[in-house]
Parts: sequence; structure tokens; C-alpha cells
Amino acid sequence: MPILIVKFEGSVLKKVLTNGGPITIGRLPDNAIAIDNLAVSNRHAQISSEQGHLVIKDLDSLNGTFVNNQRVKQSSLKDGDVVMVGKHSIYIDGNDRGEVPASDVKQPAPNAKEARSVDETLVLDTEKRRRLMQEIAATGERSQIAPSRIRVATLVRVKGRIEEAEYPLTGKLTVIGKSEMATVRLRGWFKPKVAAQISRRDDGYYLGRGDKVPNVNGSPVWAPILLADGDVIDVCGVQLKFTIKE
Amino acid sequence: MHWDAAACTDKGLIRPINEDSYRISQEQNLFVLSDGLGGAAKGEVASAIAVEAVAASLNERTSTGAQGSFATRPEVSEDTRSLVRAIEVANRKIHDEAMRDSTCRGMGATIVAARISGRRLGLAHVGDSRAYLFRADALEQLTADHSLVAEQVRHGLLTHQQAATSELQSVLTRALGMEETVEIDADEIELFPGDSLLLCSDGLTRMVPEAEIGAILAQAPDVRVAAEQLVHRANERGGHDNVTVIVIRGSERSKRWIAKFFPWGRSNVI
Repeated sequence: MPILIVKFEGSVLKKVLTNGGPITIGRLPDNAIAIDNLAVSNRHAQISSEQGHLVIKDLDSLNGTFVNNQRVKQSSLKDGDVVMVGKHSIYIDGNDRGEVPASDVKQPAPNAKEARSVDETLVLDTEKRRRLMQEIAATGERSQIAPSRIRVATLVRVKGRIEEAEYPLTGKLTVIGKSEMATVRLRGWFKPKVAAQISRRDDGYYLGRGDKVPNVNGSPVWAPILLADGDVIDVCGVQLKFTIKE
Repeated sequence: MHWDAAACTDKGLIRPINEDSYRISQEQNLFVLSDGLGGAAKGEVASAIAVEAVAASLNERTSTGAQGSFATRPEVSEDTRSLVRAIEVANRKIHDEAMRDSTCRGMGATIVAARISGRRLGLAHVGDSRAYLFRADALEQLTADHSLVAEQVRHGLLTHQQAATSELQSVLTRALGMEETVEIDADEIELFPGDSLLLCSDGLTRMVPEAEIGAILAQAPDVRVAAEQLVHRANERGGHDNVTVIVIRGSERSKRWIAKFFPWGRSNVI
């Protein structure tokens, strides 16, 4: 039976077998594939097996379900197809290869021309930019350019009253708080709407305070700090471990 | 939630003219600013076309994407998709004008635009004009600069500090008007009561450190004062470039209603 490979920006988040009943996709955590994104409906779509092949149905989602970049209400799925919901991609792996085809998430292709006016602002074209970056890399410690996207990090629950065991940090901002829209949703009467938040920046993930001051490895965080793999975060009686693969 | 917004722009102390443009429209749910590329090539024309074209395009409410557009944006909602399509139209218009009028050849502009629906903020941008979130007394940059030094940081070639002092800071990797199509970044985040938003051209952030920007946003009594103080501070610190800011601040409707009827209890309202 085909496997569904759920990816975010090149990182595999999970693999889902299709040998059972329908696989639900949506924002609520009880979906088989739960995607935390504002553009995703609570019950967004569903993949099921019909007469031996996979079919995806959009469940009247607000912003649509996409297969191979086309918006669909319902579509059969074959090996190699890519479903997009929110920022996540779901690859159909029919041959149980366990791999994902090379034609992955579209790469940004800056196609700017150099501005005629060579004054304060220059716009580089792709070739110039690549050459310039390589020159700069060669003069530094590294001999090659590291991959541009930081890996996706995950918060793992250590203790506390929260719903999930793991939270992949796929958004620009991840809020830990009481709001029903918070990613890490706190339970309890006196929890603040934004207890703390984690932001994904160019150089990594930063934890900052909200209405509460979180601790990282026992020390209070007054200004946003860069998180490292294995850091333990404590806030509002909840303990989470930050994990990121290099 | 209710949103108050104010904008302020100034040509600064050094540049001969203001090549920034902006537009705020609560009816259209649009906050946009554009920084024309400096130098001889009509930056003020490019940025004016940019904001005008985005506003006009949203008015038209065409739901089908422009040719070759990124009509498939599963990661954002329709409001934000409309914004992306509007910016595609703006890019095309600037490019066409540059081709048509030889005195405008090579002109270009950055753009950063926001739409707010309920508690959802949609952002789209090209270039190094920025959107910031101000929450819990901290400023968080929401947009990724399309500049060479920012790309170097993302590739691990530079630290933030090195990027901030690099001589190549103003070298961009994307701008409107350069080509027939352009890659536009779009994202959405959820807003909370008490949040403030800041859209700004680099004339602000080159002159004023983020800590000071945050301090101004924290103490300003309203958005108008905040916008004016930010521009004023940029000029106080040298005013090397045109500077434009849009400050947006949210408050919950219920709070405002209750405050109206029980003004003495304003600070105690939950």
C-alpha cells in the first residue's frame, strides 16, 4: 500500500500508512495529519482508499486543497503526486521506496536584473549572486555554502497539561499560550494568551517571553535567545525539550 | 479586534526627493509601502506605481490569477493570495513602464504589504522593506530581507552583526520592476490583543536600532505619535535615507465598548 510522506521545507515530518480507513488532514490535532497553519481548515481534506487506489477529497476547506499545484475538490492520487495543504507537502510513495522524488519544493529563483543606475541600491542577477557568494565563502572558514534553509525543529513534551507529544515548529512564530489558536495550547484558568513564543529567524529559532518569563535550562529568558538542540524550556508548569537536527 | 493605523514619511536630511510611497486603506484592508530604488532611475515613479497598482488591483476583485502567477498558494488564505496577485500586477506595470519610457529604464522598488482579517495577519513583500511585530515589549522581524547580506546570514556565511555593518547591505536580490515576473514572499500569522505592527522602509532601520524602535512603540500613546516619533528619530540619527513607517495597533472591541461606558474602570477590564 502506498505511504504518505509528510514534508515541510525539505524535512520529513512523518510517514503515514494507507492500509486502514480514511486519513484526515486538518488543523485540529485529532486529524491523522495535523497541520498547524492559519490557512488550513479544522477539517481540511481526507485521503481514502477506493477500489484499490487512493483518492483525496477536499472537505469544503476555505483555502483549498492542491494536487500537483492544481486546486481540486476531489482527485485520485498516484505514485509521485504531491498534495499541498498549508505549507506542507504530502508525497504519495506508491512503491514504498521511502524516498521523495528530486522535484521537490520549488526553489526561489531570483531573476532580477542589475539596475542600470549604479548608485546606492543594486539588484543582482542570479549568476552574479552565486559567484559573489562563492567568493565570499572561499575567503571564510567554510569552503562551501551551507544549505540556506535551517532545519525544522520540534518541541517535545516532557511534562505538563498539553495535548500533543510533539510540536513541529513550522511557522514563523510559535505561540505557547492559552488561546485556542496557540500552537502549544495550555490548559487551565489562569494561563495567559501568550505565555512565551518561539520565532524562526534566518539563523535559527529564538525563544522569547510573552506575558510570562520562560526558563531555558533553568535560567530565565528576559530577551530572546537562540535555542540549541536539547535545550529544556519551562513555562507555566509545562516542560518542553527543543530538538533540531543538524 | 479593532485596528488603528497611522503612517508617516519623510525624505530625510540627505536625499533630494522622497522616493518612498505608501497607502493605507481600512476599507480595502490594505497597508502598503514601497521604497523606490535609489539613483538616477526614477525610484519615485516606481514606488508610486507599486502602491497605486496594488490598491487598484485589490479593488478590481479579480479572482483568477494573472498569467504565470503563483495562483496556487496553499499556505495562505485568499485575502493574502489577492495581495500576492496584486503585487504581481504591480511588478508587471513597473516593468512595462520601464520598457516603454527610456528615462525610466532600470527603475525598481521594494514593497511590503499587509492585510488584517479578524486576528489573521497576511503579509507579502519583495525586497528589504520590512514588517515587524511588536509583542511583549519585543520587536520581531516578520519578513526575510531579499538582500545579499541577509542571504549570506541564511547560508551561514555571516553573522547578524557582520551583516549589520557590511558595506553591501543595500545590494538586493529581488525587486519589483526588474523582470516580467518576480518571486513574492507571503506568510500569515495570528495576532493577539496588544500587538502592534510596523511596516517600514530601510531608512528607519539603518538609522535607528531595533531596541530604540521598540522603546518608541512601547511608550507612544497612539499610532500617530508612534509613527511621527519613529520618523523624527531616524532624522535625529542622521536621516541618510527616505524613511516611511506605518504603525498599526490592535485593541479588542469589547474593551473599547466597555471603556466607553465605564471610563473609570478602563484599566481593570479583562
